[in-house]
Amino acid sequence: MSLDNLRTLYQQVILEHYKKPRHRGRTQPVDRQQRGHNPSCGDTIDLTVALGTNEQGETIIQDIQFEGEGCAIAMASADLMADALRGQPVSRALQMVEQFQAMMKGQFEFPREFRKLNVMQGVAQFPVRIKCATLTWHTLRAALQQDPTSVNGFVSNEEEE
Amino acid sequence: MTIAPSCSLADLCRADFPILARQVHDRPLIYFDNAATSQKPLAVLNTLEDYYRRYNANVHRGVHTLSAEATTAYEGAREKVARFVNATHSEEIIYTRNASEAINLVAYSWGMNTLREGDEIILTVMEHHSNLIPWQFVAQKTGARLKFVELTPEQTFDLNHYESLLSDRTRLVAVAHVSNTLGCLNPIPEIVRLAHAKGAWVLVDACQSVPHLPIDVQQLGCDWLVASGHKMCAPTGIGFLWGRGELLRQMPPFLGGGEMIADVFLDHATYADIPHKFEAGTPAIAEAIALGAAVDYLSQWGMERIHAYEQELTAYLFERLQALPEVTVYGPKSGDRAALASFTVGEVHPHDLSTILDQSGIAIRAGHHCTQPLHRHLGVQSTARASLYFYNTRAEIDQFIAALGEAIAFFSDVFA
Repeated sequence: MSLDNLRTLYQQVILEHYKKPRHRGRTQPVDRQQRGHNPSCGDTIDLTVALGTNEQGETIIQDIQFEGEGCAIAMASADLMADALRGQPVSRALQMVEQFQAMMKGQFEFPREFRKLNVMQGVAQFPVRIKCATLTWHTLRAALQQDPTSVNGFVSNEEEE
Repeated sequence: MTIAPSCSLADLCRADFPILARQVHDRPLIYFDNAATSQKPLAVLNTLEDYYRRYNANVHRGVHTLSAEATTAYEGAREKVARFVNATHSEEIIYTRNASEAINLVAYSWGMNTLREGDEIILTVMEHHSNLIPWQFVAQKTGARLKFVELTPEQTFDLNHYESLLSDRTRLVAVAHVSNTLGCLNPIPEIVRLAHAKGAWVLVDACQSVPHLPIDVQQLGCDWLVASGHKMCAPTGIGFLWGRGELLRQMPPFLGGGEMIADVFLDHATYADIPHKFEAGTPAIAEAIALGAAVDYLSQWGMERIHAYEQELTAYLFERLQALPEVTVYGPKSGDRAALASFTVGEVHPHDLSTILDQSGIAIRAGHHCTQPLHRHLGVQSTARASLYFYNTRAEIDQFIAALGEAIAFFSDVFA
């Protein structure tokens, strides 16, 4: 078995976040809620987001929590995303959705502040697994862009790549 | 050349499949995803090439030599398929794109036009989405009700529950011959006997049985049977529907176009007899001819022999899998069952498992295998599935089990 290849994909940090997620659950309050789904494998992710305002008056993400079932890559990606985005303005989070997708194409690397997200870079070498890593980010974008009066949206990841 | 008695069927046939010689991640390919699609022997590849090189022409159109040759080969393949499933007449074989299209043909032509509100369709919880969604369409359009046969504790077809669902309102029973996830072999003759006693028709999804066992539609007794070519050594893009001649003749056309007509006027038309009534437009000619070659190839080994060898492989696969304490296998563990095993491995997600095995050149399926309701019924979101064919070997099973062990070890640190 090419263990080296596998260790590129399943980095220790990823396995740790899979085993002991820090952001599993539901936010209090639930300002945004979105279900993401990967129809080809059945993986699902339920994101909840609590919003707030910072000193500059921008809307920020107070908290992100996730529930659902999926592979190590999908679950670790959700946990790492929640870690990275707490306290970030919504506008910055939306920009990072694009940046994460660019990273999956090998075209971007996060700066020092968000360097932990770079452990997902190895996924780029496993094209069929990119969908697993991006499911949570797609779901977040849908959650942040939705009309706040409509709760319980649903996003599919099928058209990705 | 004399052949040693210890030679397995796989030893004899592997050289016929060029793809089996390739490497994946610097390891010899071990292809255990045959329930999704099978590999193709040289006989089939050569047939495709020969058609395009020597006699590519449209069928049933011209009087020129190439068209006549193509038509002869195309209709000759239909006769081969008819013999392969023991149909009484070759016109009872309708070429379709795949099994899904064959089921849709029956659903739209027969179901939409025949069923009424209050009629009942019996399916099972183990159906592939292709034998579920078309009937959902029919139910939504006609008001017919869908009922579902559940599983026995051994995860096989529950005949008692089935009997309790049958009523005078039952018009159709649509059921898989072999489940693509559980691997169980469903008792079709008994299912048919009970359905016919209530005046209901029976459609059999034989995608996972036609490639692996001798099939006799007359012995099964069903009214329609569908299969996909690509799961039985033929190319993609070709499948077939077998139906009772009198039933097919009563059914209105499914798709309209060239080929399926008798006489055409501006405002109406009359239609060709079966099978062409259901084959609108230029068909998949090369693929149909290659399906005939696939049937010849399988028949050359013999379906009894293929089935017997696969039963041996299955017993060995289950013995090895069940010896791993971390592994949970779904479906019946013994008895008449298909050469496939759906399983989960402790807390290792099937996708992760599949990626790890792929690094050893081993191709298995991970996911819900187009049976989402069944997975919900089993209480799992997804499973891994190893599905074998007659070119697979015991040695490959050994390597698969060894790689599975390594994958379990790789993840065991995480869950220690």
